[in-house]
Amino acid sequence: MAEKTKKRYALVIDSRKCINCKACVVACKAENGVPVGKFRNWITEERRGTYPHLLATFDPEQCQHCQNPSCVRVCPTGASWQREDGIVLVKFDDCIGCRYCMIACPYNARYFREDEGVVDKCTFCVQRVDKGKIPACVETCPSKVRLFGDLDDPDGALAQMLMTRRYLTKKSETGNGPQLYYLL
Amino acid sequence: MASNRMDRRTFLQVTAAGAAATAVVTQTGCLKYFEKGDGSAPPPLEVATACELCPNKCSVLAVVEGGVIRKLNPNPENPKSRGMLCARGNAAVKQVYDPDRLKQPLIRAGERGEGKWRAVSWDEAFDYAAKKLSEIKQKYGPEGTLWSSTEGFQEIFFKNLGSAFGSPNIVRHPTLCLASVNLAYSATFGTVPSFDLLNAEYVIMSGANRFEAIITPDTMDLIGSAMQRKAKLIYLDPRFTVTAAKADQWFPIRPGTDMAFILAMLNVIVGEGRYDKEFVATYTTGFDKLAEHVAQYTPDWAEKETGIPARDIVHIAREFADAAPRAVYYAGRRSSWYRNDFQMRRAQAILNAVVGNWDREGGMVPNAKIAMGEYLFLPWDDPKAGRVDELDKNFPLAAKGDGVYLKLRENVLAGKPYPVKGWMVYKQDPVNAMPDQAATLRMLKGMDFVGVIDIAMSDTAWFADVVFPESTYLERTDPIEAMPGIWPAVVFRQQVVKPIHDTKPNLEIVQGLAKRLELSDYFDYTMDQWVEAQAKDLPVKEPFEYLKKHGVLGIAEPKYGGTLTPDHRFVTKSGKIELFSERLGESGYDPLPVYKPPTDPRPGEFRMVLGRKGTFTHANQTNNPWLHEFYPENSLWLNPKPAANMGIKTGDMLEVSSMAGSVKIKALVTEEIRPDCVFMLHGYGKLAKWQSLVYGVGASDAVILETAWDEVSGNAAFHETFVKVRKV
Repeated sequence: MAEKTKKRYALVIDSRKCINCKACVVACKAENGVPVGKFRNWITEERRGTYPHLLATFDPEQCQHCQNPSCVRVCPTGASWQREDGIVLVKFDDCIGCRYCMIACPYNARYFREDEGVVDKCTFCVQRVDKGKIPACVETCPSKVRLFGDLDDPDGALAQMLMTRRYLTKKSETGNGPQLYYLL
Repeated sequence: MASNRMDRRTFLQVTAAGAAATAVVTQTGCLKYFEKGDGSAPPPLEVATACELCPNKCSVLAVVEGGVIRKLNPNPENPKSRGMLCARGNAAVKQVYDPDRLKQPLIRAGERGEGKWRAVSWDEAFDYAAKKLSEIKQKYGPEGTLWSSTEGFQEIFFKNLGSAFGSPNIVRHPTLCLASVNLAYSATFGTVPSFDLLNAEYVIMSGANRFEAIITPDTMDLIGSAMQRKAKLIYLDPRFTVTAAKADQWFPIRPGTDMAFILAMLNVIVGEGRYDKEFVATYTTGFDKLAEHVAQYTPDWAEKETGIPARDIVHIAREFADAAPRAVYYAGRRSSWYRNDFQMRRAQAILNAVVGNWDREGGMVPNAKIAMGEYLFLPWDDPKAGRVDELDKNFPLAAKGDGVYLKLRENVLAGKPYPVKGWMVYKQDPVNAMPDQAATLRMLKGMDFVGVIDIAMSDTAWFADVVFPESTYLERTDPIEAMPGIWPAVVFRQQVVKPIHDTKPNLEIVQGLAKRLELSDYFDYTMDQWVEAQAKDLPVKEPFEYLKKHGVLGIAEPKYGGTLTPDHRFVTKSGKIELFSERLGESGYDPLPVYKPPTDPRPGEFRMVLGRKGTFTHANQTNNPWLHEFYPENSLWLNPKPAANMGIKTGDMLEVSSMAGSVKIKALVTEEIRPDCVFMLHGYGKLAKWQSLVYGVGASDAVILETAWDEVSGNAAFHETFVKVRKV
């Protein structure tokens, strides 16, 4: 491959291992200065059944860093943009706070920062990733639910995992091409 | 990485320079600064330290920028914390920059609990407390003072101050926590082992909610094992917890009958000859008596007691024995549930023993420990008076140094056998930690003097006369702590930033008091001297320097089977693993666990059960904004069946009352609890206004829990309270 340096970041998530402990949420809050009451990542709980036949599942969620991100398409100023490695970001200086992107996001992954008048979201912790580290939510997790890696590296752990395990992506019918892979 | 680290001396100089700025820069301000990527910012500093938010002591790498803690990252070098940092650990940053925290010494200016305070200098606070303590000593003797604390690296200085002062009344947290399990395993094996969940193939847990009450490395090892289908997990709990959700089988067992389940398993395993015959013959004593004893406890009988079908009990017992030695009946940690708690834990220990999982991979493993040095300080005379909880008479087998909390409170309130009029508290909140809050408040109000050392205004501190603000763990250096386990480690907690308020580490608070109590000779050392003496013998080159750089020294390769030689002497009376315990018999207890059925709640009553969340361990954590936002208020879990009968819907305000007291709390109608039980989270309904997020919000479980204890260990029995629930 000529473009060996090209990367495409993605997450593989093994929800079965999620114990809903919120470590990833608080780590994100600390790493990224997310205000109390706002969240870049969260855990969706599903509870079913009647006593004593019960089921509960927990799904960690955040921005899907889509292949065709609708948030980027609708942004009138170009503040929402996507890096070559797939990470979707918001340039705060260009964001006018119109919140079209919040409506366009099928995953409700964006929030409005009243204090700054801008829209904010998960960045895959670019400040860490660009230094060769993994995102805070991935690192801090007690049960290591998330695997962060490069989809375009066929020998990498992430690509290997997707080759050998069954998975689904959420709301793929939107055509956004979400890049969070949930193992089955 | 290494270039980012600095030695402590340089680091202190840097942070000292930045200290003035620290006081005014808010944390968010700093983060914004960082996000905009201003190139002039100095490179971040990484300091290795150890978390203090719960007893796990996970290793942390603190990232400091401009004198402000920016982020706490997990330190993968610790073999016990396994490269993770939970929600509480991440939220510790907020502990430092919490506007609610104690910022200077305080002396009470109004009535006890009125919340009127006068900020004073350290000298005034020390002088005042020392004067009061000396007056009490003169009037009632040193035994007229009580020194209570919970575990922590600097707890030793506080306990030593109480002892040097001459008081026999040092009381610690275990009898509100794990005293019964410690005592039961010690009575059987002569030691308290760890459970090798990483390698186990079959795990049974009685109410040990390991996926919400996080214990390292057990939580991580179990999720790894269970979810990779290496281990089968059987879970008994009146509540459908996260652990229940992840288990292969969950049984909402009738509360208080776990012992019947275990005895019936023993009945099957012994009766069908599925125990490890060679192990039992070589290492244990009393098997014949056990076999005779458990013959009465059939699975059919246990079905009636527990509500678990007999065929399931038989099946589980057989699977358990087949999977042994990679099979464990997990001990649990907060084992303060029922009056029979010690004997129930004994039954677990015996079950583990007969399948021969002792000291085997995937079984129960005696803890390894890394040897370290000790600072030798001047010893003091033994106290002249006996303990106020009359341990020798009431609980002859209980740990002498820890005391028994509830018996102690009962005696202090009765003024028996002698008056106790001074109460010093370190790092603990007895008002919320002990059942029957009204009794604890009576005890506080009956004191001539109450002094509290804490980082935040606990409910106990709220009723104190003097409050000494301790520096948070990120602002101080603590002694080195040995962490025994299958993967033993020593961890070092070193100062990450200078104190941002007028606070002191506990050692300096103790020394300040000691000086005025004329006890300075016993505390004539610095933290550095203490730590260097501890580090001296560690199996690594330049140990102190190593710990400053790494924060932890761990052994990654576990050792199994060290005690499995026929001449090994267990630390028990017989030198063997005691299935039948003569020592228990001599002390007037059942030498084999005898089942006594629990009382059921009367119609219209519910049994109150307790438990934890991954976000909260201690009562003070509900006031941390990064944890509080997940569960801003606690509510009473109630099964839909009784709720429908009483016309209760989620969100309705309820009055919940017991013989101890009553609270108002909102209802949460949920399928995830037995119809005869109710549950609420711990740490809400605070009395102290300086716990601003939870002051008067929700309810405190301590108000309605009644006083009850396990007869052998004296451990509080938190699940023995029946409550009435009424819509208001």
